[in-house]
Amino acid sequence: MSKSNNLAQAADVLYVYDGSLAGFYSCVFHSIYSKTLPVDICPEEALQPSLYPAIYIATEQDKAERVRRSIPQKIAAEALPLVETVFLSCLEHKELHLLEFLLMGYAQGARVLKMLGDPLVSKIYAAQQHLLGEKQLLLGFIRFSDYGGALAAVITPKNFVLPFLAGHFISRLSGENFLIFDKTHKAALVYQDRTAEIIPIETLELPEASNEECEYRAMWKSFYKTISIQARYNPKCRRTHMPKRYWENMTEFN
Amino acid sequence: MDVQQKLTILADSAKYDAACTSSGAQRSGGRGMGNTVMAGCCHSFSEDGRCISLLKVLMTNHCVYDCKYCVNRRSNDVPRAAFTPEELAELTIQFYRRNYIEGLFLSSGVFRSPDYTTEQMIATLELLRRKYNFWGYIHAKAIPNTSQDLIYKLGLLADRISVNIEFPSEQSLNLLAPNKSRKAILAPMGQITQGIKSGTRDLALYRNAPRFASAGQSTQMIIGASPESDYHIIKLSAGLYDKYQLKRVFYSAYIPKVQDALLPAAGGEPPLLREHRLYQADWLLRKYGFAPDEILSEETPNFNPFMDPKCNWAVNNMQLFPIDVNTAPKAQLLRVPGIGPTSAARIVTARRTGRLSTDDLKRMGVVLKRARYFIAAKDQPTGYKYTKEGVIRSLIDPSVFSFGTEQLSLFTPSKPAIGASSVIEAAEEAILCLKATI
Repeated sequence: MSKSNNLAQAADVLYVYDGSLAGFYSCVFHSIYSKTLPVDICPEEALQPSLYPAIYIATEQDKAERVRRSIPQKIAAEALPLVETVFLSCLEHKELHLLEFLLMGYAQGARVLKMLGDPLVSKIYAAQQHLLGEKQLLLGFIRFSDYGGALAAVITPKNFVLPFLAGHFISRLSGENFLIFDKTHKAALVYQDRTAEIIPIETLELPEASNEECEYRAMWKSFYKTISIQARYNPKCRRTHMPKRYWENMTEFN
Repeated sequence: MDVQQKLTILADSAKYDAACTSSGAQRSGGRGMGNTVMAGCCHSFSEDGRCISLLKVLMTNHCVYDCKYCVNRRSNDVPRAAFTPEELAELTIQFYRRNYIEGLFLSSGVFRSPDYTTEQMIATLELLRRKYNFWGYIHAKAIPNTSQDLIYKLGLLADRISVNIEFPSEQSLNLLAPNKSRKAILAPMGQITQGIKSGTRDLALYRNAPRFASAGQSTQMIIGASPESDYHIIKLSAGLYDKYQLKRVFYSAYIPKVQDALLPAAGGEPPLLREHRLYQADWLLRKYGFAPDEILSEETPNFNPFMDPKCNWAVNNMQLFPIDVNTAPKAQLLRVPGIGPTSAARIVTARRTGRLSTDDLKRMGVVLKRARYFIAAKDQPTGYKYTKEGVIRSLIDPSVFSFGTEQLSLFTPSKPAIGASSVIEAAEEAILCLKATI
């Protein structure tokens, strides 16, 4: 175990919170002030029956804000974006790992960010890398369709990448109206009349594609097929660069 | 002919161009449509595993030249087509909006004359930049023998310009591309280098100075259609990087499609393994601080097919190893097979917090498969104990055999192909052979 435990004693309890970032910070606050390290921290949505007694930690904005401010003050400025990125990642037990990471950071200060060989720190960085890598691929692999002048795309990422995609597409398509629906996390980035927001959304019904839209899809498919050189056929290399799980939302494979 | 048919013909005739990168330019959006990112962006990968970043097409595949190696040569009987600037600009915009592409890669056959062809390309780019207010990536080919002022105009509209050097030597160029001369290729290349330099200088003086090919210049050459050695080629590339400040040199394995006494027999395999080795060496030149004479020499002018050039260098310089990851300068870490710029940077950061063991390295994401033979760490202060055969088994590049054993014969044209019936046999033979030479 890491050197975090002098701030908190391991205890047989489970924290349950509302799933928000402020909720998570409230859990951190509770852990530090009660000097307990829970066995896990679960969003209430994902709560499974457990042997451990669960405590519900209410989200309190002022406590959350104190924790948030303490990160750049007591650890390092770069630690805050790291923590808030990993919070959106698909790392299992991310809340518990982040809590341990913060406790370690409070004890060690800025050097925690350089301890790349530490089992916990390397796990945190790997989760960040996984999210940013997925985002990078999606910048290229997202496919919009035109529905009467507005653009819509569907993605099924493992990490919650929408906040990281927003800036790129807003800058690129600033004069358009567009929507990116994240089916996995049931949320959408909506950009309309030059303002953007991320909203929760259960499902998305898209209308039939117009003739013009179908023509551009067909042209893209034929370009995709034509541009490959038969004498260099190498499907393994293609899968390495573009894992199959992305194909379901890409025009050239549908 | 509709746009769909034109697209198929003009993409088909553009696909042998190697470059599809969209890197080197950072420009935020907001002015119209589009932006560019420094690292570039791949939008898809074709069945051959190559990145698709740009809409790569020719303006036209009509050509007045008759270069022997080229599918678009005058004497070849293929369907011909030409885009109008309006068609191509609209297609680019529609593909770009849908996020199919990062921008346009525009090359062309020579229709009527180099100047006329370039004027058509300029017309397309002007539509994109002015009418559509498009600020995505544009890579344009400079056609040899185009007048200087047209090249300059093209450079103001494009992010990157390239002139294909085509072949690694003047003799091969004269033989296989009789309508192009070395001089006609190097003249625009030199002009572009100057244009980029003075553009950067002007920008330091006036904020609104015109940007000339701000993502720089690249070139490509065809490998395996002519007799130059690998040593000759990497010396040439190093010279091009140095003299013309090119961003990239691309290598394109020649795909024998044409029957001509001067070229390798049609229907043969393209030398993909050799191309792969050239790219590896190219990275060593650009990112790892290697000089061409460290990689190859007059005595050994061709790559070792079984090992990547960095491993090959390392096993021939075993006296320099092991190096201690806890103390070695970064430039030395970069010389270890398996350690690249990312791993080297992580090691330099992490070792400030304490001495690193091989387990630490593993958790940091340093791949030890090859590196372990060349490093010392906290738990292995004098390095890893190994046998010659063990080293070679781990260092041999598994991708060699995925290219097929027949490719190995390309490296030793004087000798017949390695007499192996299976990949495993070939690997065993290679290990024996390497053990003897090290």
